[in-house]
Amino acid sequence: MTARVPPRLPLASQRLLVVTGKGGVGKTTVAAALARAVADAGRRVLAVEVGRGPLGTLLGATRLGVEPTRIAPGLSAATIEPEQALADFVEGVLRFRVLARRLLESTSFQVLAAAAPGLGEFLVLQRVLGWIEARRLGRPVHDLVVVDAPASGHSLPLLAAPRTLGALARIGPIAELLGKLERLLADPGATLVCVVTTPEELAVRETVELHREIVRGLGLAVAPPIVNALPPRHLTAADAESVDRLEAAVGDHPYVRAARFQLERRRQADVQIAVLRKAVGAAPIRLPFLFATPEEPAGVATLAQALAGAAGLAA
Amino acid sequence: MTRLAQALDSRRIILCVGSGGVGKTTTAAALAVEAARRGRRTAVLTVDPSHRLKDALGLGSLSSKPRRVPLASIGARGAHLDALLLDVKRTFDELVLALAGSPEQARAVLENRLYQNLSGTLAGTAEYMAVEQVYRLAEEGGYDLLVVDTPPARHAVDFLDAPRRLARLLDSRAFAILKDPTSILPAAGSRLAHMILAAVLRGLERFTGIGLVREVGDFVRVIEDLTGALRARVAAVGALLRSAGTAPLLVTAPEPRLVTETETLARALAEMGLTIDGIVVNRALPLGTFGRTAPDPGPPAGASPALAARLARSWADLRALAARQEATLAPLVASAGAPVVAEVPLLPTDPGSLADLVEIGRHLFPESAPAATPARGLRG
Repeated sequence: MTARVPPRLPLASQRLLVVTGKGGVGKTTVAAALARAVADAGRRVLAVEVGRGPLGTLLGATRLGVEPTRIAPGLSAATIEPEQALADFVEGVLRFRVLARRLLESTSFQVLAAAAPGLGEFLVLQRVLGWIEARRLGRPVHDLVVVDAPASGHSLPLLAAPRTLGALARIGPIAELLGKLERLLADPGATLVCVVTTPEELAVRETVELHREIVRGLGLAVAPPIVNALPPRHLTAADAESVDRLEAAVGDHPYVRAARFQLERRRQADVQIAVLRKAVGAAPIRLPFLFATPEEPAGVATLAQALAGAAGLAA
Repeated sequence: MTRLAQALDSRRIILCVGSGGVGKTTTAAALAVEAARRGRRTAVLTVDPSHRLKDALGLGSLSSKPRRVPLASIGARGAHLDALLLDVKRTFDELVLALAGSPEQARAVLENRLYQNLSGTLAGTAEYMAVEQVYRLAEEGGYDLLVVDTPPARHAVDFLDAPRRLARLLDSRAFAILKDPTSILPAAGSRLAHMILAAVLRGLERFTGIGLVREVGDFVRVIEDLTGALRARVAAVGALLRSAGTAPLLVTAPEPRLVTETETLARALAEMGLTIDGIVVNRALPLGTFGRTAPDPGPPAGASPALAARLARSWADLRALAARQEATLAPLVASAGAPVVAEVPLLPTDPGSLADLVEIGRHLFPESAPAATPARGLRG
């Protein structure tokens, strides 16, 4: 397991980066920051979200479409609507629009589609593959596709879809597509999975489990985990003693309260980072807690800069 | 008495709903401890407790069987509190075994190749099993109050809506259609319709390489015999969740991402006939100390200039956070459409002892505050 986690984020040649993590840890914000950082380093990046989420807003764009929209030089974004993807797929198979629509509208087909193992996930991956393979004038339209994947529990079915579905479909065009997807995901030179967490017990525990599943269960290449929202270390251990003395002398004071709080938060965070580091066998990439604008384009820009330094992305 | 105290004293079920990472599990535990102290025979059902919270409840391991929480250490010797894990991952299997007319019938369902997959994805059956667990405890557990911690927002909706969706599926044409796929077409039953659809399905199967349609049909046929018993049970569970004895409580925190999530959640709850009773705001910074209008007190006397600068920076950080909270809270409360019933300050760590939970209880029920021990959070 140790050997598989690179010390930094090798995104100079990768084609696909899948970002996942526990709900509420800032997964989408970090995915946006990663896309921006790689674009700033000179690669052409497509950021993709599954379903309607805040990715577009975070990148400073208005509503995202199902086709890539250019947001900044080297940076585009798109959304994948699972229902739309299903409709496109069925139309492609049936070739009769009217029949396809009738089929899609029927409850029974929806039940069927929900029951088909990995069908929804497959449709998402199939679209991503289309964007990765898109070429213009002999070179790829997008150098890197960053996918803001569903939260932890739901990202595993996504990553496992080619295998799950592959067990059912052994021949025909779908089987070919599945084979291609499986090769793309399993190629450590092309695909990296990145788990985002916060330095808190529950999130770290889930991250460790998810890492294990991705590496051991699915055999995919992982990036070092990204610890988001790390409290600052303005104050040192020596300061803690000074704060004790101050409190003894002057009593309760808002500065003392704030200092105690921040010291304790950072201490807890350091404990969790140590736990994570030991479990995955790599030092996590750290991103600061943003006190002011965490869920706005300005915050994404700050995190992108931090990533450029920490992850070795600078051009 | 506050609205929250009233709910604690008079309801049978308190449902803690909200997004991930807002401290729902902790709030549920603190509410349950307080209810037990007030003399109600209480059980708390949690979804994913941290190690520290398990330690706080004095339970090294927690399972889906009720375990008694020892409350003697907080001077509540006679109080009764049980804790158990809400097992959302439990599958349909148990229900199939319970409802099946014969072991052969149960086996036919359980051995179906698509069954595993269907039972996991179809109409939130895993969530339904968790709600079923709540129902059984409410009916047979002998408790005055159940405090239920639910899975994070999106799943909370799946979880609470599970009985209705399962009932709708059973009543829908889908089951019938799956047995006879040709009824998708308007002229169902006609020979032509049959021929067309059969051809389309064959084509689809050949193209995808999946013999899915037929297998789902097989599955539906074997499970069909169970639907009568299942339907009655599902209706009873749904009625319990919507009854006046159940109080849904929104647990949230003043963070921007939670405004839209709360809006979505409140709407989804309303659609299923659940009204949020009140809001508990966790992680609130005391505005008296860090709010926009609070004066900068300047560094405490005796701090070296270098330390004073670092202290000022650390105070300014929390002030920026408080400003963000102030801007967030109003739209958040508006979108939930319910009153704030309690605010709990931002704590540096998860609670690690019963005393910590009692301390949180003091913020939840300020009027019944017993003698205070030193506060761990940021006092107002």
